[in-house]
Amino acid sequence: MALLAPAVLVLLVFFVVPVCMLLIRSVTEPAQGLGNYAELLQSSSYRIIFANTFIVSALVTVVSLLLGFPLAWLLAILPRTWSLLLFGIVILSMWTNLLARTFAWLVLLQTTGVINRTLVGIGLIERPLPLVNNLVGVTIGMTYIMLPFIVMPLHATMTSLDPLVFRAASLCGATRWQVFRRIFLPACMPGIMAGALMVFVMSLGYYITPALLGGTANMMVGELIAQLIQSLLNWGLGGAAAFLLLIVTLALYALQLRLFDPLKQITGAR
Amino acid sequence: MITRRQTLGGIATLAALAGSGVRTTSAAGGEMVFCSWGGTTQEGQAKAWIEPFMAETGAKVLQDGPVDYGKLVAQVESGNVQWDVCDVEQDFSVFAGEKGLLEPLDWNVINKADLDPRFVNDYAVGSFYYAFILAYNKDSLGSAAPATWADMFDLKAFPGKRGYYKWAGPGVYEIPLLADGVAPDKLYPLDVDRALAKLDTIKSEIIFWGSGAASQQSLHSGETPLGMFWSSRIHFLTQDGANIGVGWDQNVTAADMLVIPKGSKNKDLAMKFLALASSAKGQADMAKLLAYNPTNTKSMAMLDAETRKYLPSEHSAQTVPLDVKYWAANRDELGKRWYDWQAK
Repeated sequence: MALLAPAVLVLLVFFVVPVCMLLIRSVTEPAQGLGNYAELLQSSSYRIIFANTFIVSALVTVVSLLLGFPLAWLLAILPRTWSLLLFGIVILSMWTNLLARTFAWLVLLQTTGVINRTLVGIGLIERPLPLVNNLVGVTIGMTYIMLPFIVMPLHATMTSLDPLVFRAASLCGATRWQVFRRIFLPACMPGIMAGALMVFVMSLGYYITPALLGGTANMMVGELIAQLIQSLLNWGLGGAAAFLLLIVTLALYALQLRLFDPLKQITGAR
Repeated sequence: MITRRQTLGGIATLAALAGSGVRTTSAAGGEMVFCSWGGTTQEGQAKAWIEPFMAETGAKVLQDGPVDYGKLVAQVESGNVQWDVCDVEQDFSVFAGEKGLLEPLDWNVINKADLDPRFVNDYAVGSFYYAFILAYNKDSLGSAAPATWADMFDLKAFPGKRGYYKWAGPGVYEIPLLADGVAPDKLYPLDVDRALAKLDTIKSEIIFWGSGAASQQSLHSGETPLGMFWSSRIHFLTQDGANIGVGWDQNVTAADMLVIPKGSKNKDLAMKFLALASSAKGQADMAKLLAYNPTNTKSMAMLDAETRKYLPSEHSAQTVPLDVKYWAANRDELGKRWYDWQAK
């Protein structure tokens, strides 16, 4: 416990205290009471923004998983040199400036962009597909940024599995599909859950990528909070929105722990 | 975030300025912090004002950014003011001055006589001004040449996506009202419902741009073949050889102002900085670098014809004046309605 003290102290001073101050502002400005929260929950456009935030985050989590799972598996079974090289590519993208990566997607995806021009050029489509300034663009851009965060925990889980277990299953007459469904996938669950949670929670606070690759109809809470505080100077409402997001996130986290305790999985069922 | 306007492009640049908020040993002539929006604008301000100011006074000017009104207010409220000079939008300068968030300026230090009276108030001098103009990509539109704001709302004659300014600010309601036939002298008080109804007619075709860099890219690539753009950015696009047509008809001007947050610990130095920045030479140097319009009336004579071509003051006969005081008084409501409409 003593070892935890410095970390806890830092969190207290730099996170818990400011959050509490924001909470206080949200129930005192511009007037005492829960008016800000009422406004957030009653206004249809704020409700849409909150719904958007969760929909986009869930979508990004699912797509990241679908792409990240085979990638992590490939990294786990390839010979060391290849796997390091591939891993390098995954990590490399993380070292590039977030803004540069986001702008790059804009250039690729827009109607006059590389992808659409190519597809129209080879006659696959007649008119450009709307790939950006909408939900599609946001999902692509965010998934690309989130992919390493899901690949790493998955890769760690997969490499820690004992191949003998799968061989034993085959020897007992399991088909490949059964080995995957009943042995491999359950064994990967801790990694899947840890990665999915990380991606989902990080996505909730996303701001720059949706602002650049989405339309105004895809606004997420992060941008709303920035707008309320930075340009409308409405600390009360901005604080309320931030606090609401925090509460919902914590609630989801608690729910996940109840349904599925990653620690329990690792230490074995009690 | 991204804040507003040029900021998106500015974040990368500002990474280079990281740590600028850190106080080092103070220079002989004192020290102050200048805060702006990042990107090319702040680079220009550094070249045109900060470098000569440091050479002249021996003072050290640190830079920070992007500007964030929330932070500015928080600094003033807490009495811990980090920014001595700040570049803000004009309506905010009026609003913040009235709210007591800014230091009143000392006209013994700053020469008020030569300044364009539209861009001066008790708490702010003009940083630069620019116009929202209609601009279009000739390569994308072919022979079609839109000329008025009404044309921007005509989807039949000019099909395609429209570039439109993303943030709530002077111009965003006025332009649809002008397009709808409201006379320039009948704009205020703004009929927000009517403006938004007019915008609804092209909403599905609007791609909002939040920074100068993004607007340039989308016009140049033909992503948005027409729309409302900053005059200064159009100047640079044509300099880069882009085939762009413009309509100055009913252009609307907007300005940035320089202010000193209330409680600045280096007020005297900041005042001197404002004097240099608003001087004829300071304003002309800024215009040469960025094609922004000087706010000092004596600056125009120092500029060549090529730079002047895209300056709003050369097209002032077609300019529709905006009521910044109205915006300052109704900032909250106008902003709220705007973002509300955008999110729907």
